[in-house]
Amino acid sequence: MKVSLNELQSVCRKAFVGMGFTAGHADDAAAMVAWMQSYGLDGLKELSEGLECVVASATSDRPQVIYQDADLAVVDGQKKSVLSSGNLAMELAFAKARVRGLAVIKIRHCRQRQLIMGYLSRLADRGMNVTAFWRHSQSPLTEQVVGFPARSSVPSIRVYELADTPDEDVPNDGITIVMANHVDLLPTVRSQDEYKLLAKHDESDLLAARHQALEEGITVNPEVWQQLKTFAAQTLVEASALSRSGAGPAE
Amino acid sequence: MTGGLTPSADPILSLRSPATVMDLERLGSFSPTRLSFSRRLTRLMRDQAWHVHCVQFDLDEQGHGAAIYRLLTPTGRYHVVVFSQYLEDARRTDRVIADAWDLTFGLVEGEVDPALMEALAANVPLQEAGRQHPRLLVISRANKSQRNFEAFVSALATGRQPDSAYLNEAGYLYRTTAVYGNGKFGIADYDRLKQSPDFYQPFLAQMAAVYVLREFSAQQVEHIAVARGAERSVSLDPDIRRYLGIGNSTGLGMAPFLINHPQLISQWILVRERALAEACAQLPDDSSRERMLALCRRATAYLAETSVEDEQQRLRNRQAHDELVGVIAWLEQVPLERSLWQELLEWTHTHLSLETQELVNSLLIELYPEQVDALNDGMGAEENLDLTPDMPLIQLKQILETHFDWAIEADYDKEDARFWFWYQSAEKEEPRLGIRGEEVGEEKELALAIGPTAQRVYRDLVEVLDKQPRGLTIDLLMDYPGHMAAIRRIQTMATTVYGEIRANLWHREMKPMHLLRAKLSFLGAHRFDPRGDRWVRVTFFQGAPTLKDYDDVSANPLLFDDWSFPAAPSAHSTGLVE
Repeated sequence: MKVSLNELQSVCRKAFVGMGFTAGHADDAAAMVAWMQSYGLDGLKELSEGLECVVASATSDRPQVIYQDADLAVVDGQKKSVLSSGNLAMELAFAKARVRGLAVIKIRHCRQRQLIMGYLSRLADRGMNVTAFWRHSQSPLTEQVVGFPARSSVPSIRVYELADTPDEDVPNDGITIVMANHVDLLPTVRSQDEYKLLAKHDESDLLAARHQALEEGITVNPEVWQQLKTFAAQTLVEASALSRSGAGPAE
Repeated sequence: MTGGLTPSADPILSLRSPATVMDLERLGSFSPTRLSFSRRLTRLMRDQAWHVHCVQFDLDEQGHGAAIYRLLTPTGRYHVVVFSQYLEDARRTDRVIADAWDLTFGLVEGEVDPALMEALAANVPLQEAGRQHPRLLVISRANKSQRNFEAFVSALATGRQPDSAYLNEAGYLYRTTAVYGNGKFGIADYDRLKQSPDFYQPFLAQMAAVYVLREFSAQQVEHIAVARGAERSVSLDPDIRRYLGIGNSTGLGMAPFLINHPQLISQWILVRERALAEACAQLPDDSSRERMLALCRRATAYLAETSVEDEQQRLRNRQAHDELVGVIAWLEQVPLERSLWQELLEWTHTHLSLETQELVNSLLIELYPEQVDALNDGMGAEENLDLTPDMPLIQLKQILETHFDWAIEADYDKEDARFWFWYQSAEKEEPRLGIRGEEVGEEKELALAIGPTAQRVYRDLVEVLDKQPRGLTIDLLMDYPGHMAAIRRIQTMATTVYGEIRANLWHREMKPMHLLRAKLSFLGAHRFDPRGDRWVRVTFFQGAPTLKDYDDVSANPLLFDDWSFPAAPSAHSTGLVE
């Protein structure tokens, strides 16, 4: 089925509130999902595949800071969705980068990392150059790098597979984000190691997807839509004769 | 009644202060101005030579069926599709919980081919229950004013003109009960309209659809009259046709819009205040004073003719009428000084009711189209509530103390100060008010009351600042993540000239009606007729030019630009007097 962007964002927001997110975090989480979906990056698929994790993360809105100094922060994502506290972790890095020119933040042990792109777009829109990096899996080893130039709403995205797997067993469930106040950090893959480019999204592809979403609506899975509507319904108050009078007198 | 012409934030013009203008009761006294979207539309249609005409009119003898109107602008092609159906009286309600209406309609971008028409016919009449097409820019529905409708058909069918006095109580044959835009139920997002050269301004697409519905309503009664009276029937007199508007019935559902779009509302207010300041800065002369007197007289006649059910509003209208008579006397007597308009404002602020003050302001804005109309393009806003996480807490504290003093100094612990809570009902997600502590649903309260929220942020901020004197906003948020939405809003709104509506939306004495009227005035609504404090009927486009006027190259240009506060057509002009 087709829905509008505003409809998608509004239903997501209510669904997140229904799950237990606070208003501000629900706003941000909904904007992250809707941003992904409107640029053709399957935000809803990412959301629905990890819905249980999102529900379990709903009240974890405070990032657990393991270490921080003026330029650097390390945060424990506690195996929660980035939708729940990723926004604050990003704001922490943003504040450092604004003060220090450049900041790095590492979120360890987090879920649904793709969705963080929706928040990074907002930081870029506020004038920050942002690059995010993460590894997907161990075998084959894939890496993803996402870069937003300041004042741009669309990133450059590269996903590539490395032929050689390093001999280490640290789980690939973190994200590293670098923010620079004044310098472009756009990803360009230059490696002496053998790699295979799996996906490449450039500005024109993403803008075309966005244009199509606004022209034709956004395709959503009716089952996922219904799931979100069910969560959203938890924000509504059952009607009664008394409550009907709460909208004013009948005619 | 508060005065307060205070120094402005504007280096050139003297704007009224936010404390004066953003008072909820004052906002609830606003009248439409020439900046209102309905006025903007009728000017735009003339300036850009829009061509609007009916291309399909398939109605049966009862007026049921479908009609299509084509709108050609210099750059776009649109259609308004109307579906009219029989509706049992028992099912006719203006409440959002209705599931059927006398007619439904939508504004479509581009052509309407048979496949699209089929999709529209299957879904538009269902409104919320349908899945609407993404090329629809607006969808809406309307119910008949049965009394007016029958009176008009009966008169025309028997060769008479209807008595225009019917339109003094309800100035329309149909009243819309919701006009949806911005992606509702699958229609086009406003983000798409922002790129449209025709409808980039908020609510202009909605106004265009409603304007066309007005034309349909006149055409429909004439069609039914012909079916009923055959050759005895007559067409509507052009003056009565102009005096025929389109009604709107609005409830609490409109209220959250004003709170959820603070940057847009603040911008609308700023543009209106700039227009007022521009008008006051102009040098008055005999001609502008005569024009002001004429506008006051017309508004006086309009108020004298207006008949509303609500006793409070009737008294307000009567008082405004009487005070406006006093304004006319004042204007006739005072010497023509350079500061005449400023003196008029000072005098009205000191002596007259809020209703009259704001009516006089609307009329003053009317005097100087060259200065004012240029401001119309500023009625939109980029809506981004952005966080500044590196803002020092001491600065955030100053912002709260400067811009939210009205909020942080209030006492929300008093029973009356926390009387209401806002929530959304499971019935079509209708916003409602419940009494705190008595009605269920408090735990699902909508966070519309900005005042108490700002106060909570302030208290927590003071605590954190005490421990971290050099702390930043992000430090407060790491301790209180739940303040994210509020702090983002506080920081953003502090950068606007007018900021927030200054009201405690929990307070027992809070009138939601003021919120509704504020928005309706910007849309261009006249004949404000409240039903209690949560429900109101208004009229749009009463006195506005008709499509025939646009086709008439010899039509008086004032027809398109000077139609606010319309007086009823005289009996002589409509042939009622033999």
